[in-house]
Amino acid sequence: MQSHGPHTPTQLRRRYIYAALVCAATAALALPLRDRLDAANIVVIFLLAVVIVALRYGRGPAVLAAFLSVGLFDFFFVPPHYSLAVSDAQYLVTFAVMLIVGLITGQLTAGLRQAAVEAMARENNTRALYEVARELAGALTFQQVLETSQRFALNTLESRIALLLPDAEGSIHAPAGADWVDGVTAALAYQSPAYFENDAGASVLYLPLAAPSRVRGVLAIIRIDGRIGPLSDLRQLLDAYASLIGIAVERLHYAEVAQRSQMQVASERLRSSLLSALSHDVRTPITALVGLADALVHGKSPLTGAQCEIAESIREQGMRINEMVSKLLDMARLSAGHVKLRREWQPLKEVVGASLQLLGATLRDRQINVDLPQDMPLIEFDAVLIERVLCNLLENAHKYSPAEFPIDITAAVRGALIEVAVCDRGPGLPQDTARLFEIFERGERESATPGVGLGLAICRSVIEAHGGMITACNRPGGGACFSFTLPLGTPPSIEPEETMSGA
Amino acid sequence: MDAARTKVLIIEDERQIRRFVRSALEDEGYEVIEADTAAAALKLTAGEHPALLILDLGLPDRDGIGVIPDVRAWSDVPILVLSARAQEEEKVKALDAGADDYLTKPFGVGELLARTHALLRRRHAAQGNRDPLVAFGTVRVDLARRAVERDGAPVHLTPIEYRLLTALIANANRVLTHRRLLADVWGAGYAESTHYLRIYVARLREKLEPDPARPQHIVTETGVGYRFKL
Repeated sequence: MQSHGPHTPTQLRRRYIYAALVCAATAALALPLRDRLDAANIVVIFLLAVVIVALRYGRGPAVLAAFLSVGLFDFFFVPPHYSLAVSDAQYLVTFAVMLIVGLITGQLTAGLRQAAVEAMARENNTRALYEVARELAGALTFQQVLETSQRFALNTLESRIALLLPDAEGSIHAPAGADWVDGVTAALAYQSPAYFENDAGASVLYLPLAAPSRVRGVLAIIRIDGRIGPLSDLRQLLDAYASLIGIAVERLHYAEVAQRSQMQVASERLRSSLLSALSHDVRTPITALVGLADALVHGKSPLTGAQCEIAESIREQGMRINEMVSKLLDMARLSAGHVKLRREWQPLKEVVGASLQLLGATLRDRQINVDLPQDMPLIEFDAVLIERVLCNLLENAHKYSPAEFPIDITAAVRGALIEVAVCDRGPGLPQDTARLFEIFERGERESATPGVGLGLAICRSVIEAHGGMITACNRPGGGACFSFTLPLGTPPSIEPEETMSGA
Repeated sequence: MDAARTKVLIIEDERQIRRFVRSALEDEGYEVIEADTAAAALKLTAGEHPALLILDLGLPDRDGIGVIPDVRAWSDVPILVLSARAQEEEKVKALDAGADDYLTKPFGVGELLARTHALLRRRHAAQGNRDPLVAFGTVRVDLARRAVERDGAPVHLTPIEYRLLTALIANANRVLTHRRLLADVWGAGYAESTHYLRIYVARLREKLEPDPARPQHIVTETGVGYRFKL
C-alpha cells in the first residue's frame, strides 16, 4: 500500500525544511542572473520552485514556499537589494500576484499529486484484490483459501489475518495459535451482519464473511505495526476482501455438499440394486417351492389325504417365508428415509376395496363392516403403500381376534385430516401402545401367533411419510382400534360432462 | 376350447419354475414349449406360433420387458408376464409395452391356470364376431343398442361412463393400466389425470356393482390399473 495517509511529525517537519531549502536554492541560483534577467522572469523561476515543492512535498510546504518565494524575491531581487523595503510601489502588485499565483498553483499541483498518488494506490489495491479473487476462485481446499488470503493481507494490507468458521453447532471460536483474536467479539461480528470494530484502543478488526446465501464466518485482521487507523481507512477494500473470502468458503461448502450427495446417490443406488437383486433371488426359489407344492396337490397322480395335507403345508410355509421377505424388503426400503411416494388423488373406498380383495382368502370367513362416509373427498396418497397399511392392520385384527367377531373399517373427516380406523373385538392392547410401532416389537412376547413384528413399523413409516399419524387404543366394549390420519388437501377439480343425455 | 392343440411358450430361466408351470399346463392338456433366454423365445415365437406366451421379466440375456415390443411388432399373441419384483412400475411398463396380464411371484397353480384360460378365451372370442350382448352379475349390456340394464331395470349412464364401460368390456379379463384407460376414454391429453378415471370408476361401481365397497367385476389392481372380470 502506498503511504499517503497521515505521516509522523518528524516526516512532516522535514518536508517543510526541504521546501525552505528548495526556495533558498532557487534564490541562490537566480542571484547571478539578477542583472541579466528581467524581474518578471525571476518571478517565474520562483513560481516554478513553488510548483516543484507542491509536487514533491504537498500542500503545507507549498504554502510555505509561496510566502518564502515572495520574501526572497523582495530581499534579493527588488531594489533596494538585501532589504525588504520596496522603492517602487508597483512591486507590491507583483508581490500580491506572485503570492496568489504561487498559492493557487501550489494547491492545485499538490491536489493533483495527491489524487495521482491515491489513484495509484487504488489501482494497486484493485489489482491485488483482482489477483486474490482469481486465486480464491481456483482454491480447492480451505487451506488454499487461507493461504491466499494471508498472502494478500501481508503484501497489500501489511496485516495478519485469521479466518474463523462456525463449527457444526454454528458457533464461532478463536482458532488455536492466534492469541490476538478475541472469540467473543468475533462471535458478535458473526451474528451482526455489519462490519464490527473492537472496543476503543484495540487494534483488531472483525469482518463478517458475507456470502450470497449467508454469513460464512469472520475475518479477524490486525496490522503488523498494530495501528488500526490505516485499516479503518480501507473499509471498502476490506469489505470486498471479506466477501471474496466468504464466497470462496461458500463455494467450497457447496462443492462438499454436492460431493456428499453424489456419494449418497451412489450408495442409495447400490442399496436399491442390492435390495432388488435380493428380492429376485429369494423370490425365485420361493416361487418354485410354492408352485411345486401346488403342482403336487393339483397334479394328475393322486396323493393320499395325508400327503395332500403335507403338500398344502409346504405351500403355506413357502407363502409365509415370502410374506416375511416382503416385509423385510419393504422395511428396508422405507427405513432408508427417502421413499418416493407415488401420490395420486383417489377415493379411499377404492383402496379399502382393493385391500379386502387382496386378503380375500385370509378373510373368507370373517365378517367385515365397511362404514365410509358417502361424500368423502378425494385424498392424495400412494395407493400401493396405503394398501399395504390397510392389509397389515386387517391381518393383525384377523390374527388377534376370535373369528366369530366382525372387523370394522371406519373413516371420518376431522378438520384438515381424514381418520381411518380398523377395529376388532379381540383381547385389546397392552398399556404402552406407542411401543407397538417400534421395529421388531410385538404385543405379546413369544406368542404362538405368527409374525415378526414388522407390520406396524411399516405402517408407521408409510403414514409418517404421508404426513399423517398412526395410533392404537383399546376400544370401549373391548377390542383394539388402530387408526391413522392423512392430510386432506385440495383435490383437483374435475370438468363436468357437457351433455348428460342417456347412453 | 380345443386345448389339445393349444401351444403355450414359457420363457423363464429358472428350471424349477418352468417345471411346475409345464406340469400344471400339461395336466390341463396344453402343449408346452420352453425357452430360457429372450433370443430363444423370439425364435420359438416366430417358428412355433404359440397361442400364449408366459414371460418372466428377469431373463439372463436381456430385460424381459424389451421382448414384448419385439413380439408385438408382428404378433398379437397374448402375453402373460411373471414378475418376481412386486414393483408396480415394472408391471405398468410391461403392460404399456403390450403385455396382457401379469402374475406376481410366488403364484399358485390355480392362479396360473385361471389367467391362462382367461387369456386364451379372450383370444378365441376375438377371432369370431363378438356377441353384442354382454352379461355380468345381474347386469346386461347391449352394445348394439347402447343399453344397460341391472336386475331388468334400465340403468342411466353418462356418455363417459358408457365409454368407460365399453372400454372395460372390450378388454375383459385383462389388466388395463390407468394410462391406457385414460387415453381410450378421455384422450391422450388426460394420460396423467388419474383422478378422472378413479371418480368415474367409482360412479360405475355405484351403478353396477352389488357391493361398491367390495367390487367383483371392476376390480382394482392397485398401483397398476383395473381388471374387468366377466
